[in-house]
Amino acid sequence: MRSIRASSSALRSIVRGVGLALALAIAGCSTEFPAPIPSAHPDSAEPRRGGILTSASFGEIRTLDPANIGDGIVVQILEAMFAGLVDYDLDGKIVPDLADHWTVSEDGRSIRFVLREGVRFHDGDEVTADDVKRSVERALHPSAPNPYSTYFASILGYAAFTEKKAEHLEGVSVEGRYVVTFTLDKPDAAFMPLLAMHPLRPVCKSGGTRYSDTWMPCGAGPFKLMPGGWDRGRQITVVRHEGYFRPGLPHLDAVRYLFHVNFTSQRFKFTSGQQDILRDFLAPDLLRIQADPRWTPFGRYDLDTQVAGLAMNTEMPPFDNVEFRRAVATALDREQLRLVRAGNLRPAFTPVPPQVEGYDPSLKGQHFDLAEALEHMKRAGYPYDPVTRTGGYPTPIPYLTYSQGLDEFMVQVTMQQLARIGIRLDVRIVNYAAFLALRGRRKQVAFGPQFWAQDYPEAGSFLEPLFHSRSINDEDSNNAAFYKNPRVDELIDRGRRELDLDRRKKIYGEAQEIICDEAPWAFTHYYRFYAQWQPYVHDYKPHPVWTTDPKRVWLDRVAGPVAARAVFSGDALAKLFGDRP
Amino acid sequence: VIQRLARRLVWAVFVVWATVTLAFVVSHALPSDPARMVAGAQARPQDIARIRKELGLDQSLFVQYARFMDRLVHFGPSDTAVGKEHATCAQIVGPLHLDLGKSAQQRRPVVTILAERLPRTIVLALAAAFVQVLLGVGAGVLAASRKKTAVDHLAVGASLLGISAPTFIIGLFFQWLFAHRLGVLPLDGWGDTFSAHVASVILPALTLGVFGAAYYTRLVRDEMIGQLNQDYVRTARAKGLSRGKVVIRHALRNALMPIVTILGVDVGTLVGGAIVTESIFRWPGLGSLSVAAMLDRDGPVIMGCVIVTAVAVVVSTIAVDFAYAALDPRVRAER
Repeated sequence: MRSIRASSSALRSIVRGVGLALALAIAGCSTEFPAPIPSAHPDSAEPRRGGILTSASFGEIRTLDPANIGDGIVVQILEAMFAGLVDYDLDGKIVPDLADHWTVSEDGRSIRFVLREGVRFHDGDEVTADDVKRSVERALHPSAPNPYSTYFASILGYAAFTEKKAEHLEGVSVEGRYVVTFTLDKPDAAFMPLLAMHPLRPVCKSGGTRYSDTWMPCGAGPFKLMPGGWDRGRQITVVRHEGYFRPGLPHLDAVRYLFHVNFTSQRFKFTSGQQDILRDFLAPDLLRIQADPRWTPFGRYDLDTQVAGLAMNTEMPPFDNVEFRRAVATALDREQLRLVRAGNLRPAFTPVPPQVEGYDPSLKGQHFDLAEALEHMKRAGYPYDPVTRTGGYPTPIPYLTYSQGLDEFMVQVTMQQLARIGIRLDVRIVNYAAFLALRGRRKQVAFGPQFWAQDYPEAGSFLEPLFHSRSINDEDSNNAAFYKNPRVDELIDRGRRELDLDRRKKIYGEAQEIICDEAPWAFTHYYRFYAQWQPYVHDYKPHPVWTTDPKRVWLDRVAGPVAARAVFSGDALAKLFGDRP
Repeated sequence: VIQRLARRLVWAVFVVWATVTLAFVVSHALPSDPARMVAGAQARPQDIARIRKELGLDQSLFVQYARFMDRLVHFGPSDTAVGKEHATCAQIVGPLHLDLGKSAQQRRPVVTILAERLPRTIVLALAAAFVQVLLGVGAGVLAASRKKTAVDHLAVGASLLGISAPTFIIGLFFQWLFAHRLGVLPLDGWGDTFSAHVASVILPALTLGVFGAAYYTRLVRDEMIGQLNQDYVRTARAKGLSRGKVVIRHALRNALMPIVTILGVDVGTLVGGAIVTESIFRWPGLGSLSVAAMLDRDGPVIMGCVIVTAVAVVVSTIAVDFAYAALDPRVRAER
């Protein structure tokens, strides 16, 4: 009797314990965000000097060399460390940076840059035209693992230089200590946008004339890396470059990026003030904080710079039939699809996101119309009767997607939407690496998700890699629909040569009309991030190209770290053990 | 004993070789392209091809394997700093080099990366094993000696909970309670000072420990109950030894045998990386490294992780063997 009672009371205590644990866990996940941490001097708009700005990511960076970029997170750190001849401002416009000004020749083939004088690298040396040329050659030489090298193929002499037939790059010439001219083999509207990206940015003389794996990154940007500043896999801290050429900037002592921080940890760190900017949200958290009036003044969307859709392989049945592709493109209810992640997605009807140059709101684009989709199915030869649910495409179409991504969720909605016009999907999920390899292989994948982020903020950055027949390859094809239309090719090429903005927009607009109609993709959504910052972070504005530009950010925190509550934290234990943090 | 050890070592080398070869073949058979993972999802085919060539991935699998094996253990100058040729080597002893090549993603020698990660993983593995044994054996002994009392039921119930709750639930709960709510321990990471390292290891070690301890509790309890019913225990008690002394000195020592076996394998596996726990607590160890390497198809790093794990398991198995001999005179006599 005793033991039964004992066991039942033990059981009760366990149940109670589990209940409590669950309640705590649920409470921990579902409570609303605590109040923001206010600014120490809310009435003052005078920038204050000092402090460390901390942000975090679930991912990691693998290199800090501008000649070897391969991940999306690193660009904001490169932006903090390396200044370029030109840069993007907060409106996405190209503005002078290391260059004081520039002139473009009449034929559009050469651009002459005059540098600012007296600009210092992190090591104290002056930035000269020689450094510009050396850095360009270092980044484009075949010994550098630069994934963007061919983007600069329009520079005169590129082929000879990259095939090691020439020691120097003909198209970059030094015309004095502060003057450097870039010559192109033909006018290229993409050249300036590309130059404003990171690969060709000047690096210190320690970077040498050729790429090396063991170089300690050093540039002319507002922040510099000190020895030991990068703890791989954990965090990186860059400190103020005292010799930065813009007087008074940057305000911050340092910027710190934490890596591999999962979403819940980021939330905990952010609300306790250990992390100042939050961009990685669990989906419900994002909706919650966007609905909280205490937080909304300190949050903003980044610009949409990514487009996503379903790529239909035009070389494989049934997608070699344009009517079939039109049926798919018209059957997708993007407003419904968007709700899979309402905080981040906007419906997409054209290939170019709204805030990218070349987006044209007057374009008809793709649209959702079930009756019309059924009509397209009929014309494709697969009539479907939604009442009797007969007809349609006879066999399930293989659909390849990747695990642990957004599409794993979205495809469940896609399947239901396509079922309404008699298309069934056979969804196959592989890991991301395998997905990338298979998707780019000729006649391998009939149907699957495809997405593209701008390389530079211009329509050509989307249209050329995704829909030009030149981007078709037997392996690693970026044109995953293997779409080929001579008229579209011609328009894209013409757009790239056209230096006049309005004419270029018109040309790209015409190309987009054709692409939307012939539907190598059914466009689904644009993805945009939301950034939330604490009120004590001032002059933080999400950057349209770099995500974050910490140059002008300043902090106004109450003295002493808010997070110093941890009695057993490093600091407290350090006192106990007597070593200094 | 020496002959036995030598035999075991030869066997161990074979096991490690077989594992590595298998891993090499499997990681190359996957339909994916390490060069694409280096260049990025949007890189152009021409740039990918150049990087592929630079990484030596344009060679046939056999050539790549032969090159890998040729470099793996070789003789070279006693000072690896001499010349570029041995820049990716680590010295085992004197002129004997270990070369795992260079990570395709990080472009650093794999031995350097492993040397950064391994100590951190070993710290966590040992701390977790310590917690497991302490909690598990403690609760198991208590439960067995108070069989069918509230103590016993509580221990068994708690162990059921421990087994059932996956580490990510336990880990998140600990994080929420101790780091976020109470603020007594760091949320994650590794810390910058010795004391911060100590503070940082507590939660991940507890998480792994509580999960692992559950098995030990059940195992020790059952084993101890068996032992406590043995004649020698009754004899010892009759001799006038105290209850506690009998339980600890006699019964527990005999019950330890299976525990040691499991502990050996456990430590080996933990060194291979506690993947989930490491990622929750942002512990910069081998687990997170191998996951990242696998996702990025970073061949040399995958090989490095496989070798470390294989060696760890093999070494701990051998250690278990010898621990048997130390614990059990009968095993010693057999040899």
